[in-house]
Amino acid sequence: MTPIWSGLSIGAVYALVAIGYTVVYIAYTTFNFAHAQLMMFAIFISYWGFVVSDLPVVVVFLIAAVGVGLIALLEEFIAIRPVKGAHAHLVTTLGMATLLDGATRLIWGDQVLKVPPVGSDATWTILGGRIGAVEVVLILSVIAIAAALTLYSRRSLTGLALLAMAEDRDAALLRGINVKFLALGAFVFTGVLAGLTGPLVGPKTFAVATLGAALALKGFVAVAIGGFGSLPGAVIGGFVVGLVESLSGRWLGSAYPTIMVFVVLIAILMLKPAGLFGTTKERVV
Amino acid sequence: MVIFRWYRSIPSWSLPVVLALLLVLAPYLGVGSGTQRLLLLTCILSLVTSGLSLSFGYAGELALGQTAMYATGAYLTGYLAMHWVNDALLLVALSAVAALVVGLVSGVPGLRLGGWSLAMTSFFLVLLVPQFLDLLEKYTGGAIGMVGIPAPKMFGHKLTAVGFYLLVAIITVVWFALMRNLITSRHGIAFQVLRQSPVLASSLGISVYRLKLTAYAVGAIPAGIAGALFAYVDKYLSPHSFGFTLAVTVLAAAILGGAKSIYGPLVGAAVMQYGPLRSSDFEQYSQVIYGIFLIVAGTLVANGVAGLVTKGLRRLENRFAGAPPGGEVDLAAPSHRHTALSLPPMEGARLEVTGIRKNFGGLQALGGVSLVAEPGRITALIGPNGSGKTTLLNMICGYYKTDEGTITVGGEDITGRPTHRVARAGVSRTFQTPLFPEDISVGEAVAAGSYMSPYVGMPSSILRLPAYRRAAASDQDRVSRVLGLLGLTDLAGVEAASLPLGTRRLLEVARALVSSPRVLLLDEVASGLDEDEIERLAEIIRAIRDAGTTVILVEHNFKLVLSLADTIRVLAQGELIASGSPAEIENHPRVLTEYLGVRQEAQS
Repeated sequence: MTPIWSGLSIGAVYALVAIGYTVVYIAYTTFNFAHAQLMMFAIFISYWGFVVSDLPVVVVFLIAAVGVGLIALLEEFIAIRPVKGAHAHLVTTLGMATLLDGATRLIWGDQVLKVPPVGSDATWTILGGRIGAVEVVLILSVIAIAAALTLYSRRSLTGLALLAMAEDRDAALLRGINVKFLALGAFVFTGVLAGLTGPLVGPKTFAVATLGAALALKGFVAVAIGGFGSLPGAVIGGFVVGLVESLSGRWLGSAYPTIMVFVVLIAILMLKPAGLFGTTKERVV
Repeated sequence: MVIFRWYRSIPSWSLPVVLALLLVLAPYLGVGSGTQRLLLLTCILSLVTSGLSLSFGYAGELALGQTAMYATGAYLTGYLAMHWVNDALLLVALSAVAALVVGLVSGVPGLRLGGWSLAMTSFFLVLLVPQFLDLLEKYTGGAIGMVGIPAPKMFGHKLTAVGFYLLVAIITVVWFALMRNLITSRHGIAFQVLRQSPVLASSLGISVYRLKLTAYAVGAIPAGIAGALFAYVDKYLSPHSFGFTLAVTVLAAAILGGAKSIYGPLVGAAVMQYGPLRSSDFEQYSQVIYGIFLIVAGTLVANGVAGLVTKGLRRLENRFAGAPPGGEVDLAAPSHRHTALSLPPMEGARLEVTGIRKNFGGLQALGGVSLVAEPGRITALIGPNGSGKTTLLNMICGYYKTDEGTITVGGEDITGRPTHRVARAGVSRTFQTPLFPEDISVGEAVAAGSYMSPYVGMPSSILRLPAYRRAAASDQDRVSRVLGLLGLTDLAGVEAASLPLGTRRLLEVARALVSSPRVLLLDEVASGLDEDEIERLAEIIRAIRDAGTTVILVEHNFKLVLSLADTIRVLAQGELIASGSPAEIENHPRVLTEYLGVRQEAQS
């Protein structure tokens, strides 16, 4: 049971990255390569806050949320706004990701840093498997976040406007929706969310400068499994990736997890390219 | 000005040839061994970059997997040279094949989803390289690296340093020559069409998926070759050389040189090799600098150094050689007006649509429409907006899947076929909004129409085999004949997308015509044209009919339809409400009320 719990909790991390991708996808129909790096940055900020500066928990969350939110704001202005088209964005956001990787390395170096858990570091035995309190909190908060966002996008006016925007940007513009502002808001929100969840994720992943690339890929696989633009899909995809990783590590050996995740990605792309919850649109001339 | 004229008078390939000679002969021109090594590494990096350019710049798919193919080539060569046979040429060839396999295996799933899934899949592939090397530690040396690769041999003879340099330089020159041949063939135009408008590409008979996969897989070949050569450079391989940093370096080199250019990768690779990669201080800041570079380059210099050079040359050309005759063709000018139009006979095919039904969600777009269009006749399709005319065309072309019903062309069932296969069955079309990729001349745009007829494969295009030469000559012929017929000859060299609407509409007809279609679908081809242009267009459409093609005309201009059509079908709310000759339709009561909005009383 322990590998399942640990798979679910690392899966929750991937689900968080996937949620970030999905929100940006809804707002811009584009892919923010650098989202995983935003989360990595938040983890490093929490390391710095907890270990180096010994700040109170609330302050660390606040600094991470505001700091990463600002980085996201900056990214929107330099890497998203000036260019059009998903492929151009791939290049600029990959640039942003590389820049953040490099900056992290310059500031904190290459070594693996341990981030202490927020609150209790107790571990419980549930159904015969061990799981840390932090991990339980992580899993539950990811589900809560996805549920809240799904509800928000279906019920609130802003959420509906976002969905309308994803469907047809021009039509939304003509309907009087301030597309640019709304999209910017969504983008910064993903940064703030990454900032807020960073301290929760840190104890699980540790703070290391290669984390961004790893999270980016697993997050992408989660989105590919769940289907682009689907929040529940992102969460389920995240859990699937986490479980595949943890179980293949347990049964096949430590060299296999990433390779098995790749195999799952290939399989899903071959069998159901739109993902579990995605829809394919018919092309229009 | 004199210099510029002189420059334009020499063939465009002479500069690359001179540079290639200089590159190959460098060791004999007193270039030191340090510089030789740099040139060597530049060649290797440019080969990898060239693979990325093909996929990213031309086919429009960002793919970072070249690093993995490069590693494949390198480790394969290293291992085989140590344990099997050490022949540089043989191993280069084997590495190319191995890289091609990696390209195909990762490209097939990566391209299924379109968009950024290839980017991510290939990115993933790069991150897997160290894991695979670890897993195959027995063969690759794992994290320690592969040591003991012997010096390269060819046909049993050991290569000297200069000999190896020559090998690398010649392979590089040959590869770029082949690339040039590929890009200047019609595949090059097909790539550009594909990148900017997959919709248009498929209507020209190009399989979007196949061509993208081909570009990605072909792009794997130079990466594999480069890997094989790299294995011999230091005779030592470490996983460190094949990391994500290399992928970003290659991307930066491609963008810097101009992703959409043949020789750009050489420039980009040279800059990288002489600049950042040489200094060891760079290592620490490399990611920050590459990151900033990608953001800046991604937003500002869209076409890299090569793009700047092309732009500069074009400016010089405009200044000195006199602007090309741009802008509008006066279609009503005497020279255009009274030329008798006649086209060589074309074989039409009967188009039969039976009981076709289509719902979008809960909305019925077509509710069981049947119609027949005969060869050598113009069948007009009219009806109010939203009556399903364009939907019907899109279903014939295979853009939409049919819910029910069948479509046949010349007795051949094409229902449910993908667009490019419908196009290959002889169905050509024009679009409501003319589609022309940027940076493509009128001549090329029209030539793109004949991509499939006859199809010339990439190998014969690259090697310029007789099949390619014949097709290229006949392309040239047909394009100039069609342009001549439509009175557009003067515009052959002008950028197609910059022309005024009326001319672009004619050009769309020209593009559809050049493949000698059996069925021609014209979607609101007259809208936005003035009287004279419409008259000219009508003449052309009649000529196409007289040549034998089946013409389907979707049109709102009732007067034009009455004067052109042999039979008219009227659609309203997804149903066929009337059909008959122009005279019958003109007085048909339902047409008058539902389409023309004339009240019955007023008519009597």
